[in-house]
Amino acid sequence: MAGKKFRVVVNDDKCYLCGGCAGVCPTLAIEVGASKWRFIQEKCIFCNICVTACPVGALTTVPLEGEE
Amino acid sequence: MSELKYDVVIVGAGIAGPMMARDVAKAGFSVLLVDKKAAIGSPKQCAEGININVFEKYGIPYDKRFVNREIYGARIYSPSGYTAELRYKNVSGVILERKVFDKMLAFYAAREGADVWPRAEAVDVIRENGRVEGLKIKREGELLDVRAKVVVAADGVESTIARKAGINTYAPPHEFDSGYEYEMLIEGFDPDIIHLWFGNEVAPRGYVWVFPKDEDRANVGIGINSDNPKTAKYYLDKWLREHGISTNKILEVNVGLVPVGGFVKELVKDNVMIIGDAARQVNPMHGGGMAEAMKAAAIASKWTVKALEEDNLKLLQNYTEEWWREEGPKMEKLLKLRRVTEKLTDEDLDVFVQILGGTDLEKLAGGKYTEIIKALLKNPKVMFNRRRLSLLKELL
Ligand SMILES: Cc1cc2nc3c(=O)[nH]c(=O)nc-3n(C[C@H](O)[C@H](O)[C@H](O)COP(=O)(O)OP(=O)(O)OC[C@H]3O[C@@H](n4cnc5c(N)ncnc54)[C@H](O)[C@@H]3O)c2cc1C
Ligand code: SF4
Ligand code: SF4
Repeated sequence: MAGKKFRVVVNDDKCYLCGGCAGVCPTLAIEVGASKWRFIQEKCIFCNICVTACPVGALTTVPLEGEE
Repeated sequence: MSELKYDVVIVGAGIAGPMMARDVAKAGFSVLLVDKKAAIGSPKQCAEGININVFEKYGIPYDKRFVNREIYGARIYSPSGYTAELRYKNVSGVILERKVFDKMLAFYAAREGADVWPRAEAVDVIRENGRVEGLKIKREGELLDVRAKVVVAADGVESTIARKAGINTYAPPHEFDSGYEYEMLIEGFDPDIIHLWFGNEVAPRGYVWVFPKDEDRANVGIGINSDNPKTAKYYLDKWLREHGISTNKILEVNVGLVPVGGFVKELVKDNVMIIGDAARQVNPMHGGGMAEAMKAAAIASKWTVKALEEDNLKLLQNYTEEWWREEGPKMEKLLKLRRVTEKLTDEDLDVFVQILGGTDLEKLAGGKYTEIIKALLKNPKVMFNRRRLSLLKELL
């Protein structure tokens, strides 16, 4: 789980902007506006909770390369 | 930029927010209610079922424009198809039209004097000398500073404003349900009662529901534990397939998470209050949160009005105390019950649905279960099964 660093990406065509992922994220690394899903890389702790919780599977992770 | 000042600013015009805005405005204080949605109530993230008693209890008009269908009871289905039913002579609940309901609640607030802004997103708190002085609100793209004596986070499951204000509303993912729902044409289910299916393969930790809005139209949805590796959509589509129900007559897709545990101890911090889903105030057994949001809003309003009248914001703390005294014990009991029911096997569920009547199930869902558990302990199917026995004893 934690250890591997990644970026969380949304599939706009699947996402309903329900805000659920923002609700479960422990660090407020996701913000869901009325028309936009936003990820804040610096706050992410790579726990994967949002990816698992999304009711429709709209979130995936992409490994961050070239990081320490 | 002119400075905006209110007695109370409330984020979120779902259920809790507008109810509180209405009550505080009615007492003569200035209130601003904001929601990021362009149309209050849309899209819905709800199965729309609520007990009939809330209308009288919270002074909400019984308006046919948002009462979609009257309901007389419920039927529960176990994994092998055993059922338990509860049916009243009189209307026991309704299936709302939340798009209209939420909007009307906001309208009642506006009518009492509150300002209401849709498409206005609270992006952060204004903090000065360690104190929250108001909110930064983006209204149709324009960033505004709104100052208020009292800041209320009624921002639903996201609960970001409370956290930005320094109230910890974090709960682990297991304390949420992931929900997925179709409002659709569906036939063959008694449209006068709600229907609930349980089973570890059907809906892990949660249930599948059919909440009728017409003879042949219903909210058909599912809730499962949020830390489940599969999605809620996967389980609902599987259930529909297995029941031979077409997914080609769908009117809406509804998605959302429900907090089903992880209640917040500190509901007030200085001049910041949290109500509803934002404070994780949802019945952990059935995931219904509208009635709880109304209850919290009523208590929070009462103390906000007192605090403003007496110019003593310390009185806000009474909301925490009163909520925990009035609702806390029931909610803790329900959480305990939820944690036990999660451990039941499909066979256990079959057995319990066979033994229990509809009235027992209603009492369970309301947290009044001590007598029922005591009776169950005397049943041979429990008495001679060590695991069932020890699970149920956890509840006494
Ligand atoms: C699939 C599903 C089915 C459900 N079925 C039922 C049911 O049948 N019966 C029942 O009682 N409960 C049900 N619930 C739970 C119920 O929907 C919630 O408990 C209830 O809506 C809580 O009301 P609330 O006012 O606390 O929050 P919400 O109704 O969620 O309102 C919060 C509002 O805040 C807004 N908001 C959030 N952040 C911001 C921000 N930063 N700025 C501006 N606005 C913001 C949102 O747009 C939203 O309108 C269900 C939930 C789900 C997901
Ligand atoms: S939980 Fe899924 S559907 Fe909901 S906002 Fe997050 S990514 Fe979108
Ligand atoms: S991986 Fe964890 S920290 Fe990162 S956005 Fe998702 S929930 Fe938040």
